[in-house]
Amino acid sequence: MIELQGLTKTYAGKDVVEEVSLRVESGEFGVLIGPSGCGKSTTLRMINRLIPITRGRILLGDEDVTELPPEQLRRRIGYAIQSTGLFPHWTVAENIAVVPGLLKWPKQRIDARIDELLNLFHLDAGEFRHKYPHQLSGGQAQRVGVARALAADPEALLMDEPFGAVDPLTRDVLQNEMLRVHRQTGKTIVFVTHDMDEALKLASRIAILNAGRLVQYDRPIELLTQPADEFVRNFIGKADLGLKLLSRRWVYQYQQSAEILEQPSSFHHDRSSVTHGWEIDDQGRPLCLHGGRLYAEESEQRTRVTHEWSATPDMTMKEALSRMVWFRVMVLPVLDEQERLIGEVAMQGVMGREP
Amino acid sequence: MHSTKVSKGESEGLVANRVLLTLLVAALIGAALLPFAAMAPNRLVSGQSVGLVSALLAWQWGTLGLLAVLLGLCALSRPFSLPAAYRLVLVAAPLWLLLVLYGLGSYADRALEDASSAARISQGAAFWIVAFCPVLMIVDAFQRLHTNLALRSLYAALLAGSVAAMFALDVFDGLAILREYANNRELFAAEFATHLRLVASALGPALAIGLPLGLLAHRRSGARGPLFGLLNFFQTIPSIALFALLVAPLAALSEALPFLRALGVKGIGATPAIIALIMYALLPIVRNTYAGFAGVAATTLEAARGMGMTSRQILWRVEIPLALPVILSGLRIVTVQAIGLTVVAALIGAGGLGSFIFQGLGQYAIDLVLLGAVPTIALAVVADFLLQILVAISKPAGAR
Ligand SMILES: Nc1ncnc2c1ncn2[C@@H]1O[C@H](COP(=O)(O)OP(=O)(O)O)[C@@H](O)[C@H]1O
Ligand SMILES: [Mg+2]
Repeated sequence: MIELQGLTKTYAGKDVVEEVSLRVESGEFGVLIGPSGCGKSTTLRMINRLIPITRGRILLGDEDVTELPPEQLRRRIGYAIQSTGLFPHWTVAENIAVVPGLLKWPKQRIDARIDELLNLFHLDAGEFRHKYPHQLSGGQAQRVGVARALAADPEALLMDEPFGAVDPLTRDVLQNEMLRVHRQTGKTIVFVTHDMDEALKLASRIAILNAGRLVQYDRPIELLTQPADEFVRNFIGKADLGLKLLSRRWVYQYQQSAEILEQPSSFHHDRSSVTHGWEIDDQGRPLCLHGGRLYAEESEQRTRVTHEWSATPDMTMKEALSRMVWFRVMVLPVLDEQERLIGEVAMQGVMGREP
Repeated sequence: MHSTKVSKGESEGLVANRVLLTLLVAALIGAALLPFAAMAPNRLVSGQSVGLVSALLAWQWGTLGLLAVLLGLCALSRPFSLPAAYRLVLVAAPLWLLLVLYGLGSYADRALEDASSAARISQGAAFWIVAFCPVLMIVDAFQRLHTNLALRSLYAALLAGSVAAMFALDVFDGLAILREYANNRELFAAEFATHLRLVASALGPALAIGLPLGLLAHRRSGARGPLFGLLNFFQTIPSIALFALLVAPLAALSEALPFLRALGVKGIGATPAIIALIMYALLPIVRNTYAGFAGVAATTLEAARGMGMTSRQILWRVEIPLALPVILSGLRIVTVQAIGLTVVAALIGAGGLGSFIFQGLGQYAIDLVLLGAVPTIALAVVADFLLQILVAISKPAGAR
């Protein structure tokens, strides 16, 4: 748990962070967002005391951070930054080993931890352990940067625009990995970004800052549906509001049962009250969709199920909707990890139900 | 990069390697027009010049001619491919060099057979040209081949070993410079040691003062301007003037403070020389130390701090290792510079190889001058090469 109480930072008589109070509960994914220069980094860097606090208090669990020696405090809090800050003269393994080494872990424990973390980020330990930072792609370097921040199993993780400098495709992959790693480790995270889509995707709570002040601290859905003021409304953006909402909703919330056709050849739109049905193989994997098209003249057609044209329960509804539009169908099959049909999600459902 | 160079060379037509061709032409013109060696009846009068062809035996200049033809073909785009041509240069050029050295030595032996014992054989301008051109050809070929340092070092060691073997086999004993050496054997060893001692006694304190000052310049931006201003000022004082300027105040100090006198501090001799050398060495050391530290990325330091490293740990584990190659480059500059400047220190009685040079100049004995100059140059080249290796080793594996 990290709690800021009336946190203030003054530079040359000017408050760049002003009376910020908020609490990131244990295991929560807190995101600080706001326009450039609004004091996000300053706030974050006061938590691990890279910047001295002018006024107010910061609690880590039940300890006041100013009562700990700064180096010891920092070894208990992971820190990852946009440019990775990997040490160019050390290998990936040596970089990850920094904080465990400072904490004097035995060598075997450090080695095991390095392998564990590389595995967590799907980096082959045999291949990556001995690479140098300049031999890594941007995405790989960023993964190593986060792995290094997690190395000594810190109580919390601070991240300052960690994915700001990677290309959009890689950023999306890294965000998904971050969500997975957060789920698997249950770390308390404070994450700084200026990208609203990133915040909506990752955060369990979002703090919006403007000119050093906290404007709203809420769950993403509430931020979208009940913005505190005009600034928040503008910052979220009026465009894509519906889509932004869907990016916080998941397929499993909209999943319905799917109609399995026993005798696929007998399916005809006009002879049946059902508008569509699924043909499956003997393992329960969907083969094709009968009907389910937008226009009546298309509804006799079968649509082959492919990997791209399907959904998983943990996919966002925004992504599911995007796939429906792209493949011109009214329903998507929902598949489990073995690619078996476990339900469907339909266009009508997106419009109709509030989960 | 390499391949573009190759295609560019070929598209230019017949000549593929202009550097090699230029060096070869320079060597041939030098050999044709300038004296290769000179013979004098005694040490103090100037001698009678001898050209390369008349000084060398027929097989010697004949072989040199054949090697020249081979090197000429290497410079052309046909018949050899470029990499093959560079490798051939690496074989032909050292053979040329060793043959020139051997030829000079054997000429001296033959010429002295029926001459008085006072007679002197010295090397002439053509010798220096014909000996230096192949060295430059070798350096050029290595650069074009992008050979790694280990192979270059091995090659240089082999070549240096061959030359050393010729010395050991008394090939050069007939030459005046070695006669001078034979006459001054003990003195030479002493002055050589003094030279090294002066350089080392200047570099030690220069590092001890310069490294912290470089760090200070990095940490305190306010100190930077005045510090570099002062060090730049030292650098602009001509060396002879600086040596001379130090004599009077040091003499006065030594006069006034008996304990300094007891330590051997005097107005002339080693003390002013070492102080002057330190003053010259400071600027490159401080500048490179500062540049080395300033080159460490701010984000690397922020990450180090954010992970809980102490300032001392950051200095020793992050900043110094990353700055070391640049700092050692500064040491390389300073070492070569100090070896050269120490020659001048002989003027104020500090000794060293410079004493042969000034003694020789005073007596118009050029061979004595060379006895001081040639080892100084060799020392500088060797020190430069060794420090170059050190710089390469100090580069972090991740950045090599
Ligand atoms: N060392 C400093 N001295 C003076 N002003 C600073 C300093 N560091 C940051 N600021 C100012 O504080 C404000 C907040 O900066 P920062 O927290 O880095 O913003 P961001 O939200 O973009 O991360 C900015 O206006 C910046 O100019
Ligand atoms: Mg920032």
